[in-house]
Amino acid sequence: MAETDFQRQALGHLDALFNLAIYLTRSRSQADDLVQETYLRAFRFSHRFEPGTNLRAWLLQILRNTFLTFYRLREREPALAEDGVPDWDTPVFHEAPEQTGASMEAHTDLERALSRLPPEFRMVLLLAEVECMPLEEVARVMECPVGTVKSRIFRGKERLRELLKDYRQ
Amino acid sequence: MTDPEPDFLEGLPRYRAPARLRAAILRAAAPAPRWWGPAVSSAAATAMAMVLLWLSVLPRVLPAEPLQRAIRAIVSEHTRILIWGQAHPQVIPASLPWLTQETGIGLQRVFFGDSQLRFVAGEPIYLEGQRGVAFHYTDPGEHMVSYMVLPAPGLTVPERSRVQIGRYRPALTRSDGFAILVWKHGDLASFLVSDMVSELDLERFKAYFLRIREATEPYIE
Repeated sequence: MAETDFQRQALGHLDALFNLAIYLTRSRSQADDLVQETYLRAFRFSHRFEPGTNLRAWLLQILRNTFLTFYRLREREPALAEDGVPDWDTPVFHEAPEQTGASMEAHTDLERALSRLPPEFRMVLLLAEVECMPLEEVARVMECPVGTVKSRIFRGKERLRELLKDYRQ
Repeated sequence: MTDPEPDFLEGLPRYRAPARLRAAILRAAAPAPRWWGPAVSSAAATAMAMVLLWLSVLPRVLPAEPLQRAIRAIVSEHTRILIWGQAHPQVIPASLPWLTQETGIGLQRVFFGDSQLRFVAGEPIYLEGQRGVAFHYTDPGEHMVSYMVLPAPGLTVPERSRVQIGRYRPALTRSDGFAILVWKHGDLASFLVSDMVSELDLERFKAYFLRIREATEPYIE
């Protein structure tokens, strides 16, 4: 199983892609599938990557497109988890490492609120705030102007605040 | 729980990819084992010889009618986009001149999307031996809508399939679960294709046609 240089460099961003995929799909198995499909596409079209540009942003762009093409369609028919709760309402934070007590409760609420944001808002917030990507790179991944990214961050946070108020009541 | 601060998302946990995922990716990306290569090559050569032998006596299965052939090609291209996604989503608008140069099709105006249809990509295509241009959009229901233009001087739009949409009368047809609207701009044929085939979806599809039709004007360069 030989790894090319490109594959090695691309796989260096595996954690970043997996983290975003978890927050987008809210399912470990779907995140696995999404990341794997993303890498297969990236390897297949590696000749289209321009050396010297940001490989992580390129990979995240492929992940986003893959998510929008396949996984978002599934959201129209939310699957039921074992407890009968729709999957999109089931937090994944109970699996998160080193999360206990109040911290875990806060993050569970936050994750649940995050999952209720439209994917385009969720992605922008995750890329900018969790991945700490520069807004220009977020704009490249999202294929929209920087102004739109700023607007989505602002509106996404506003919506999160409203949703978190609901959970607190 | 306190109200979130501006940077409240920074505290979210980061998930690390399991080691097995890296292995699975490399396994999936690796070329298939080739121990069976010679046997397959031999079988393929035999099969090819058989096919060539029988080809001349097999009935022609491709539709002879130019419109049906074009529609089949358009639907295949749309399906390809649905499955593998767009190649160069950044093409428009900066690369419109390049697109014209590559396809020989100029665009006086292009529909860049609106609140209902989000522009996804524009790219050159090659269908039925012709260079053409395709633009892809998605609607809020995540339906992919593809608009494709091909040179088709000999193609006629059948009168019996025409439907009135606003002041236009394109032909509406269905193929493989997709709805297709066809119309002409001189020697160019335009196709709008989507999987919007239910009665409700079809009305929205027609509304999308109006938006695109009124805002896009292709011509042969």
